[in-house]
Formats: sequence, structure tokens, C-alpha cells
Amino acid sequence: MRKYLAQRLLIAIPTILGVTLLIFIAMRVLPGDPLSAISGEGGGTYVLSQEQLRAARASLGLDRPYVVQYLDWVRDVLRGDLGKSFWRGEPIRELILRRAPITGQIALMAVILSWVIGLPVGVIGALWRNSWTDYVFRLVVTLFMAIPSFWVALMIVLSLVLTLTWRPPLTIAYLWDDPLRNLQITAGPALALGVALAAMMARITRSSVLEVLGEDYVRTARAKGLRERIVVWRHALVNAMLPILTVTGTALGALLGGSVAVERAFGVPGLGLALVFAVAERDWMLIQNLVLLYGVVFVLINLVVDVSYGWVDPRIRYQ
Amino acid sequence: MDQPRLGGKVNRRRFLKTAAGTTAGAALTAWSLKRPAPARAAVRSDRARAAEPNPKRGGVLKWAGPAEVAHFDVHQGAFRFVLGQMHNNLVRFNPADGLKTIIPDLAESWKVSSDGNTYTFKLRDGVKFHDGTPFSSADVVATFSRIIFPPAGMASIYKDQFAAVDKVEAIDRLHVRFVLKEPRPYFLELFTPSSMIIYSKKALDENNQDLRKVIAPGTGAFMFKERKVAEKWVMVRNPNYWDPEIPYLDGIELLHIPAWTDRGTAVLTGQADYSPNVSLETHQEGLKRKDIVGTVRYPGEFNSYQVHINNERKPFNDPRVRRAINLAVSRQNLIKAFGTQEPIMLTRWMTHASEFATPMKELEGLPGYRADKTADIAEAKKLMAAAGVADGIKNVDFVSASVAPHAEILAPAFQEELRRTLGIETKIRVMERALLIEELKKGTFDLMVQTEYRSPILDPGPGWEMCLKTGGSLNFSRYSNPEFDRLLKQINSETNKGKRKQLFAQGMALLDQTAPLYLIGFTDHLPMWRNIVKGHNSEARVFSELGRVDTVWLDR
Repeated sequence: MRKYLAQRLLIAIPTILGVTLLIFIAMRVLPGDPLSAISGEGGGTYVLSQEQLRAARASLGLDRPYVVQYLDWVRDVLRGDLGKSFWRGEPIRELILRRAPITGQIALMAVILSWVIGLPVGVIGALWRNSWTDYVFRLVVTLFMAIPSFWVALMIVLSLVLTLTWRPPLTIAYLWDDPLRNLQITAGPALALGVALAAMMARITRSSVLEVLGEDYVRTARAKGLRERIVVWRHALVNAMLPILTVTGTALGALLGGSVAVERAFGVPGLGLALVFAVAERDWMLIQNLVLLYGVVFVLINLVVDVSYGWVDPRIRYQ
Repeated sequence: MDQPRLGGKVNRRRFLKTAAGTTAGAALTAWSLKRPAPARAAVRSDRARAAEPNPKRGGVLKWAGPAEVAHFDVHQGAFRFVLGQMHNNLVRFNPADGLKTIIPDLAESWKVSSDGNTYTFKLRDGVKFHDGTPFSSADVVATFSRIIFPPAGMASIYKDQFAAVDKVEAIDRLHVRFVLKEPRPYFLELFTPSSMIIYSKKALDENNQDLRKVIAPGTGAFMFKERKVAEKWVMVRNPNYWDPEIPYLDGIELLHIPAWTDRGTAVLTGQADYSPNVSLETHQEGLKRKDIVGTVRYPGEFNSYQVHINNERKPFNDPRVRRAINLAVSRQNLIKAFGTQEPIMLTRWMTHASEFATPMKELEGLPGYRADKTADIAEAKKLMAAAGVADGIKNVDFVSASVAPHAEILAPAFQEELRRTLGIETKIRVMERALLIEELKKGTFDLMVQTEYRSPILDPGPGWEMCLKTGGSLNFSRYSNPEFDRLLKQINSETNKGKRKQLFAQGMALLDQTAPLYLIGFTDHLPMWRNIVKGHNSEARVFSELGRVDTVWLDR
């Protein structure tokens, strides 16, 4: 197992280096320049002279050759220095430390919610397939898969404002500082994201469990006289977990990247929103580091998911 | 009348009475000094005050708006509404009379020479920056010299407004003189926006004339306490403020809430007390909830929506084609289409809040501005025919920012109007807003939806200089008309208001005929506040100013 982990981590190095190269080149190739945004906040349309532009470019270190810029960036990252935002001058490490806990918490809550709702719905749908309950569940699942999360988010915010004259707080509060206020901020986005993910989870659970229910070991378990509950939860569901884990890992990675539309609807200052603004402002340094972070997170989550296969399914062993 | 007897013999009883009285008096005095005195009822016309009588002291105002800054140097483009709270100008508009008159700020008084070429400001004595540095004429000279004659490497975005200034000089510690090359009737007004703050010479010198990385100390009513990036600014009352009457508040929290809807819901739900501009739908919701919030329209913002027409590209280099577009495209339709986003007003070349603007009744009857387009379209078609494009124009490059209000509402609506009325076929090219500057600078577009036709102040003079004069810094339509340039020079040096009004009318008529661009209209702001927020006098404002909140108080 240790050898396997070491191998996977070694393979991750070129993957992450590839991510850094791709994002660095993409930023330089794509049209647009951070200077146009930085030099004037009125839409970036104050016309600067060439001399002023040169000076501003030099002050951001953008006048150096691309190779030097890239190597400096990678060296700084390895030393734990993520640099500063071109636009706000804020250390990027601080920005990530400030925003990531909220985004991470929302992602985790959404995933937990999706399991709490999605798994039972999927299992019940599989056990009672083609019954009225199954039809109703499938209808609801299709509905929530079709409805965009940002719409659900907007509806939650609007109904709270119009009926209770209340809305979730707009400024950050961490779970360890102010749990109640923190839950007020995170519950809405987690619900909006969680119901869509729960629908997906229910659909996958239903099809996986259905597939497993026809397997020999389930028939054997029933033939042994085991209670149906044990057959389903201990034998069928556990073996149906592999696709569920895969989807969960991918969804968690995507949610940690931030669901921008939902963050925007609730006014949550998360990582996703930071990336969107960074792209609009051509804040190269921030974009590079956030994309690198997502790359690292995805690689790690994939590794965790792969390792968990062996834990869930004893037939899978890593050598 | 008998005079009270002084002196006399001091016995034990008298001594104890006197001592007790003195102690009580001293205690009372100490208590009253420690406790803030109730605000005076009288409104001084020469100082910024709340318009209401007996304003209450204390409390922290939660302000919701765009509170993030790229850097801290206002004169290099940093967001002024936040940083401006910590500073003073030389002069300002009076909040108590709805921003109708200019009153002293750091300048106690001023004199204008008879030829209008010299402005001499007498500065307030005893003013100190938040770091304790005394304020003097050297600070004013350092501030404006840097704006008007910027050092190498500094991007002075307000330089053009002061192009008429020949020199800025200190006469003595408390007197400063601005000498102009030619008179500018709006010159005093140039000092009123919240961008025209005074920095200390010491801060400028210590930072090599570049304050982008430094929150420089101001002389203002509020002092910096804390900044949480992209979240909020916290400022506290300046206990040594030169005007002992204000601020009434103990502090302010400027919450960074970029979305208009979030600002509106923040005020409606009590998370914020005041926002200078909320979304239209929350503004409408606010109108239904007068028991908890107040809301009005600030008339006449200094920004507009327009379609730039590239005057250097064929066939738009022909003024008849541009005039035809201005006649045929319905402003009413565009304003209605945009109605769900932001209130745009029917306007003619300047903000409708200006005293030189064409009155609405008159404007609604003018060709190109009237709702009934029958005659205008017929005239436009004649002009197109005379310009040799009677059958319309094909493949027109129409650039729009990718933001939804531009790309999904204004650009398609304008495109449809052009196609329907004049047979002009456009292809909309959507791009990110940050990239538009390059297109604007290079002139690589035929038409472009933009928001850069604007004025720094209420007087349209400097705005016209920047946006319409040949070579103006914001003249993105590349309009060049020697006749207009001559007229503008006359407008901007004429000091008689009546004559100026006539000249502006001539200017607008000339612009109607030569149509440098298509002005959709200037906008209004939609402020909203909890009913406890007083002293901003929003109902009386004659134009929109997102300025200082030092006269605001909370009726708790």
C-alpha cells in the first residue's frame, strides 16, 4: 500500500507540473492584460501613456522573460510563497486561507446532504422499482437534476427576504468563531448544491443497487435466510458503492473549486467567486495559484477515492 | 442695581459650602467633557451639517456598496468612495441643502481674481493629519502638483481635468494660489468630488510620490481601523477632527457588497443601514416597505450608457450616417429594454441634473429624442441615401462587453433597432470587459456599447473636453470637429452663466447634427437606507454623489 501511495504521489508531480505550465501559458497566450484593470477602476478605461504602461508592467514583474517569470513562480510556490494578487495586492496565501474554509465547508455539507438524501432514495427506488414510490422518486430526482442550483439558491434567498425579511449574512464567519452565524451563511448554499447532488446520487445509487441485487452473492445471502435489511445494506449497498464513491470524489473536487453561481446568489465570498473576478480582472498570479490549488486538490481527492475502493471492496488490493 | 458683594470673611461653613460647590461643579464639568455634548440644532451654512435639527450622536453606520480597492492611491485610480471617508477636500458640496452650493472644507475661504485666472484659497489653521502632522499649504501644493504635473511612472487619471492650470504655489503656510492659463468657470467645482482629497506632503515624500501600497493618513472625520480584504473596511471617529460638531457617528463599517441585489436585500433585512445604489427590484421592494426603509432616485449620475461609433471608419466617418442612426434608433425602446437593470434617463449630451441640460418637455419633442419615430426614420433614410448607403450597411462589427446587461440586452436591442429601421446589419462581438480598453485604444471596432461617456463633475464642460474634443482622453469615438473644438473652448472659458447656457445649447445642436456617438442616456442611482439613518438628505439631492457620510446620524 505504501509503495502504491508513493507511486501515485510520484505520478502526481508531472501532472501538477503540467497544470502549472498549461495555466501559465494560457494566461500569456489569451488576450488581455492585468494592467488594463489595475490602472483604473472605472472599467479600466483610463488611457495610459506607453511610458506609464512600461513602468506599471515593471512594477508587477511582467517585463521579465516568460521563462524567468515561470521559474520564479514555481520556485516561490515550492517555498510556500504564492505571491500577491495583482489587483488587490493581497497575499494569495491569505486569500486562500480566508476563503477556502467557507467553500470547503459548503462542499462537505453539500456532499453529506447528498448522501443523506440520495442514498436512501436510490436504495428505496431500486428495491421497489416500478412502484408508485419509485415513479415519484424518479420524477423528483429528474426535476432536481434539471433545475440549476443557482435558481434554487435564488429562490431560497428571495423567499427568505420576501417572507421573513431575513437573508443569510454577507460577511464571513467561521465555524470555530461563531457557529450559528457560520451555519446561517453555509446552510443555504449547501442546501442548493446538495439537493442537485442528491438527485444525481440517488440516480446512481438506484442503478448500482439494481445491478448488484441480481448478483449471485445477494441471492446466496437471501438463500442463507438473512434478513432483507442486512442483505440490502450490508451486501448490496456496500458492493454498489464504487460508482457512488467515484461521483462523490469528482463532485467534491468540483465543489471545492467553488460553485460560482451559488456563491454569487448567496453573496458568499468563496474561492469560486475569487477565481471568476480574477479572470475578469486578468489577475494572472491569482488565477495561476488558484488553478494550481484545484489541480492539487483533484489529484489528492482522486487518490483518496482510489484508496477507498480497496477499503470498500476487499477484492481490490493495491500492490 | 446692587452689585453682588465679593470677598468677605471666610468661615468654616462658608468654606465647606464653597468647596462642595466647587467639587460638584468640577465633577459636573469633567462628566460633561467626557460625555459627548448633544449636537447643536443650528445648521451652519458654511460647514457640513445634518439637515435635521438635534442630530443624535453615537452608533456605527453599516454602509453597503463596492468597498474593494485595487490599491490605495485615489489619484491613481483607487476607489474614492471608501478612501475619501478618511480625507478632506478643499471645498465640497453642502449635504444640508441637497448639494446645491459649494461650502468650505479644508479651505476656509477663497478668492477669484477679476479675470478668473487666479484662485487663492485660505486654509484652515490647526488641522492635523491622523498621524499628527500639521496640515499646511505645502500639502495642497504637493497633492495638486502630483495630479497636474505627475512624476514619471505615476498614472494621474485626473490630470486632464486640470489642463488649464499653469501653476500651483504656496503663498504662505495657510494660503495657496492656483494660476490658470485661461479661466474655467467650473474650476472650483473640480475640487468637490470625493476624489479630490488632500494628501500630506510627508506621506507623499516618504513613499516616493506613490501611495498605491500605503493607506495614507488623512485629515478626515473618520480614521482607518481595519480592512478585511474583499469584505469590509472599519473606520472610527476622529476624536481630534477639526470640526468638533461632526461626525455624529462613532464609526463606519463599509461592507464590500458588489452585487446591487445583495446591497438591496442587505438593507431590507437590516444587515446594512445604507447603500448608495441598489438594484431596481430591491428598490421597488423598498418602496413597498416604507415602514422600515427609505429610498429615492438620486437624479443624474455622471455616467451614461452609449454606443461608440468609430468616426474614422467608413461609412461612419460620414456624419450623415451617424446622424441617421441617432434619428432612427429609439431611445425610449432601449431605455425600456434596460428597465429591469438600471434606470437610464432620456438625456441629450449631458447629465439631466445639469442646469445646462435641455428641459425634459422640450427634449421629448426634439428629433431623435421623441417617442414617435415616423418622421425621424423618414429623415434618417434620406440621410442614408445621401450618404450612398440607401440599402443599408452589411457586416458591421459591433463590440459588447460580455456582462449580461450589455451583451444580452443593450447590444441585441440596438442591433434590432438598426436592422429594422435602417437595414444596418451588425455582428455582435462579445468580449470580456477588461479587454475592451485595447479595442477602444486601437479603434478596432465599428460600434461598441460602453459606459465611458461621462463627466467628472456636474458641469458638462470637462466631460466634453475628455469625451468629445479632438484627441480627448476618453474620445473613443474619435470625433474630430474643429467647429466643435472652437465652440468648446469658448464654452469652457466663458464665465457668464447666461452666455454659457446659450453656448451649451449651440454645442448640443451641433452634436445632434454631427452625432459623434449614440448616447442612450445618463443613469440615476437608487439609494436605500434604514429609517433610522438620517443626515444624508437623500430626498433633497439635486444630483447623485456617493460621497462622505460625516453628516449621517442614527436615530436609535
